[in-house]
Amino acid sequence: MLKYIFRRILISIPLLLGISFLTFVLIQVTPGNFFDSLKLNPQVSPETIARYEALYHLDKPLLQQYFYWLKNLIKLDFGYSFFYNCPVSSVISGRLFNTFILSLASLIVTWTIAIPLGIWAAVHRNRLTDKILSVFSFAGLSMPSFFLAMLLLFLASQWGGLPLGGMRSANFDDLSDGGKIIDLLAHLVIPTIVISLASIASLQRIMRGNMLECLRQQYVLTARAKGLPEHRVVYVHALRNAVNPLITIFGYHLFDLLSGAALIEIICSWPGLGAVMLTAVRAKDLYLVMASMMMGAVLLLLGNLLSDILLAWSDPRVRYD
Amino acid sequence: MRKINRPHNRQVPRPPKILKQCSFCFCSARKSFAFLLILVFFLSFPSFVFSQEKNPSKYGGQLVLATTSDPRSFNPIVAQETSTTAITSHIFEGLTRTNGVTLKVEPHLAQSWDISPDGLLWTFHLRSGVVWSDGVSFSADDVVFTFNDLIYNEKIPTSARDAFTIDGKIFKVEKIDDLTVKFTLPFKFAPFLRGMSQEILPKHRLERIVQENKFNFALGIDSDLKDIVGTGPYQLTEYLPGQRIILKKNHLYWRKSLEGEQLPFIEKIIYMIVQSQDTLLLKFLDGEVDYCSLRGADYPLLKPEEKKKNFTIYDSGPDFGSNFIVFNQNDGINPKTKKMFVDPKKLSWFANREFRRAVAHAIDKKRIIDIVMNGLGYPQDSAESPSAEFFYNPKVIGYDYDLAKAREILEKSGFTDRNGDGIVEDKNGYRVEFNLYTNSGSTDRVQMAAMIRHDLENLGMKVNLVSIEFNDLVSRLVSTYDWDAVMIGLTGGIEPHFGKNVWASDGQLHVWYPRQEQPQSAWEKRVDDIFNQAVQELDEPKRKVLYDEWQLIVSRELPAIYTVFGANIFAVRNKFENLHPTSFGGAFHNLEEIFIKEEYR
Amino acid sequence: MTKPRKSLSQFQIALGHFKENRLAVVCFWILVIFYLSAIFADFLSPYSFSNEDRNYSYCPPMEIKLIDARHEKKSIHPYVLGVYMTFDEFHKRVYKTDSNQKYPLKFFVKGDAYKLLGLFPADRHLFGVDAPGRIHLWGADSRGRDLFSRILFGARISLSIGLIGVTISFFVGLLVGATAGYYGGRIDNILMRVCEMFMMVPGFYLMLALRAAFPANLSSVQIYLLIIVIFSFIGWASLARVIRGMSISLKEREYVLAAKAMGLSDLAIIVRHILPHTLSYSIVAVMLSIPGYILGESALSLLGLGIQDPFASWGNLLSDAMNIAAVKFAPWVLIPGALIFVTVMCFNVIGDCLRDCLDPLLKSEVRS
Repeated sequence: MLKYIFRRILISIPLLLGISFLTFVLIQVTPGNFFDSLKLNPQVSPETIARYEALYHLDKPLLQQYFYWLKNLIKLDFGYSFFYNCPVSSVISGRLFNTFILSLASLIVTWTIAIPLGIWAAVHRNRLTDKILSVFSFAGLSMPSFFLAMLLLFLASQWGGLPLGGMRSANFDDLSDGGKIIDLLAHLVIPTIVISLASIASLQRIMRGNMLECLRQQYVLTARAKGLPEHRVVYVHALRNAVNPLITIFGYHLFDLLSGAALIEIICSWPGLGAVMLTAVRAKDLYLVMASMMMGAVLLLLGNLLSDILLAWSDPRVRYD
Repeated sequence: MRKINRPHNRQVPRPPKILKQCSFCFCSARKSFAFLLILVFFLSFPSFVFSQEKNPSKYGGQLVLATTSDPRSFNPIVAQETSTTAITSHIFEGLTRTNGVTLKVEPHLAQSWDISPDGLLWTFHLRSGVVWSDGVSFSADDVVFTFNDLIYNEKIPTSARDAFTIDGKIFKVEKIDDLTVKFTLPFKFAPFLRGMSQEILPKHRLERIVQENKFNFALGIDSDLKDIVGTGPYQLTEYLPGQRIILKKNHLYWRKSLEGEQLPFIEKIIYMIVQSQDTLLLKFLDGEVDYCSLRGADYPLLKPEEKKKNFTIYDSGPDFGSNFIVFNQNDGINPKTKKMFVDPKKLSWFANREFRRAVAHAIDKKRIIDIVMNGLGYPQDSAESPSAEFFYNPKVIGYDYDLAKAREILEKSGFTDRNGDGIVEDKNGYRVEFNLYTNSGSTDRVQMAAMIRHDLENLGMKVNLVSIEFNDLVSRLVSTYDWDAVMIGLTGGIEPHFGKNVWASDGQLHVWYPRQEQPQSAWEKRVDDIFNQAVQELDEPKRKVLYDEWQLIVSRELPAIYTVFGANIFAVRNKFENLHPTSFGGAFHNLEEIFIKEEYR
Repeated sequence: MTKPRKSLSQFQIALGHFKENRLAVVCFWILVIFYLSAIFADFLSPYSFSNEDRNYSYCPPMEIKLIDARHEKKSIHPYVLGVYMTFDEFHKRVYKTDSNQKYPLKFFVKGDAYKLLGLFPADRHLFGVDAPGRIHLWGADSRGRDLFSRILFGARISLSIGLIGVTISFFVGLLVGATAGYYGGRIDNILMRVCEMFMMVPGFYLMLALRAAFPANLSSVQIYLLIIVIFSFIGWASLARVIRGMSISLKEREYVLAAKAMGLSDLAIIVRHILPHTLSYSIVAVMLSIPGYILGESALSLLGLGIQDPFASWGNLLSDAMNIAAVKFAPWVLIPGALIFVTVMCFNVIGDCLRDCLDPLLKSEVRS
């Protein structure tokens, strides 16, 4: 297993290089660069714009810019953000924690709710609870998340109780430590609900589907015939097999959550990386985009590696040659 | 969530000692009456003398504003976007300032100035007693440093340099003594005084940074906030990325009110970073924010709540930014492909003034205002906004919405529908079809463009609305010239000269035909002359005559076809006194003089 | 003597099960109605999607009245009243009906010209009113375009985007995933790395880049196809990874080993033995990804990169409704959202039922 992990990590390096080059080209190939916004300002001369571009090496050929970026990456220097006029690492580090908390909350909420619900629905198939859960799942899947976010904020403003977006209240500094944690949790509620809802719904359906499949297998029949108690049949025998595709999904989720919530972060004024990256991509803030992309790629690779390891651990039939 | 207002130092007037003595006098009736009289007199005496102090102090409280994006930097030289200047305008100041109400230039860090008879030598007498927020005295050294070492520094990219360069020549800035600075201009420059609102930065803190060539990334959002030192009324105390910025009162601020009170009154300013306009509206209604600018469509949402939620909506008149349509009249040849930039048949339409006049008559300004702005807007005919007041020329040629007239104009120019397919053809039989570009980021503009496209279709032109990313659009307008018609917006101001690059025929923003070597037409030459003349004309009324002519020419020749102005509407919570909202200045242009009513502190 | 029971094919068995689930059948017919409406949108809608009348900006849904008490004899025929709009003191649109202007509802009226099924020119519409009246069953948008008509036309785009895109990613993902899992070793490694590369390509950048690389005056049809291609480009990789995970364990099953021993070709084993067992997951996954396409198109429209004006899709209709003022004063603009909701639910219910039906072990349970 260790050799396998080592080989996987080794292969990841050319993969990351490939992806970074592809992204670099994708961003640069579209016409214009970040300083185009200055070009529509009548008070800025072309010479000034040229100075800005020279400052960030944007006047050099594409390949040279790429190698310049790569060289700095090895030194762990992620370059400067054009928009924020400061090192990319400060932009990211200033918000990493915020996105991480939100993702963690969503991950926990999603998996702790969806898995038990899925099992429950499978075990009580076609009874009332299953049907109600189905309806809720479908509803959660069908709702466009940005719309749900807006709706929840609107309702919160009408009924009070929950804060209207943002991450901390105006009087945050005056609260006690316990008060601060509660304040943070209160602000997390709306964005977490919005982000998790669709994931909970789909995960629950998948869990239910897998469980149903497993519960029909011959070995389950055998186990029941043997006289094993039902909960052992379900949780020990069926569940372990049902969990196979979910493990792969878990690895994928890890990557998805850290990057995918841009629209919701903007609507809920959550100061995370997603919103920053969306603006950065549209404004062509080159180094910021590259850094976030590399971060996302590394996380994806790690997530996939993790899920493959977990797969091997949980299913003894899986062998990696 | 309730805000907890910080306690502040209130100065409670102490009663004078006289009162204490009198209150213990007990005598006979007449004496007591006399004493009563004296008592009453002395009791009321303090209210004459100490009336100002007895008035509860105006100090304290906080103002909560919102901004849609993080500031790019706290360095006003390197970054000049609104997200940055909103913050730095509280911290740094210039030698002059534009009054938000009268729109006139006022002394600020400079107390007065002398102009030589030939208009080239300007001597500024700086205000004495001004200190930086770290206690060091402000002097002419700082002014000279800001210009010679920052603005004119080749290694520092800044658009401030362009503002202070005429025809490639920079100004000579010299210190005469600690409170006097001399500017020698290469030519007479009318906008000079207004431009001297340029922020002055402290030499003693930045000199070494500049020498080490690190200024470009200094005073950034990652810097220690204590290093951001200015002469202005507020100082930065907190910045949480993506969340908020807090500024606190600068106790060393030099300015005093007319009654001699130390300014500013408001203790703290908080900027919340809220990216979505809808979320901002909700926060405003909830009481979290004190100010909110409104789009026309938001007005019916807020207006009915005015009394209940205790705020006032101000409609301060037309906005400054305008949206307009430009046709590509570039007859140049692309050096790479050896073909013309614009398809010759299209060029013949776009270069034809009658074609453009017909399009102007096809713009339904009233409906655009009704539909896009909910009825809260103003039709635009002139290049300047009415809110620019002095330089605005109301007497320009207007184009009312008249499709029949537009069709007539087209017919006279040879555009008719010969084959009955609903699309007109030009004299040579080509169908009139072209692309109208706009940037996808602005929903209002896209909606306007869509409405105009529909009307042009009724006129018989097949128009394809192409909405693209902003950078793509800029690249087409400024580099590749690969576009037919575009709908863009430019922010305006009160000084026409600052838009020179749009109107000068060799300007890079002369959208319809940038960077001409020679003016392509007689009217463009006339506009060139007007701008060159007006910038050197120091007599304001004479400048106005020239710029009036410019606006008239533009309305006649239609290089840009104007649409509508939005109304500059904002809502302010009723907790402030001394507000004088205007379209140019907004609600808080005189922030230092504004104070919060006692019950809200 | 009982007749020997005709043996039913797999498909017929599945269909039988499907018909038993009443909810799924209902959903199926709902989708059929939606798709037919989309195909015959030109005929069913009173106006073309770009027909606008600015006097009817944000006109609320109109009531169809039946009883006409104008004359002494009451007559019963459907009609709508004329409306006119004013701004109240809060600049809110207020519509008042004018009971003197009655526009009878007519059927098979002449209206905007179109081509039925893209081939036959026609101009008859199912229902409508004479000008200058207008009929807005579900209200109008900000420019006075009939929402009912635009929804019907928008259905064409939204309903097909999911199907086409999902078909592409389904086939590609299934094949790649099963192959990788079955062969294992180096092939697995290479295919999975390729998969990861596709997953890592940030879809949004790709969208921006491709939009800019193609000539700007793409017709909306081309933009539409571009969106599908990009989404399926990213979509197949995640399905492939999961199928690969499943087939890794499936390939060790006894029947697979038996088939191998019997000399069945690899392709045959993959298609006949491995893939069917992944079907239950695949179908659920595919059904669950269709909403992703529809909602993804909606998110793109929110950023201004989706289907452009004047063409309608449920996505761009919904993003037009995405502001509080619209929700509060013109809530009918949210109808496309409700329709997206219903469509997606139908796909999910059907997908769920299909999974049950296709499961070969089910029949034993049901029969008993």
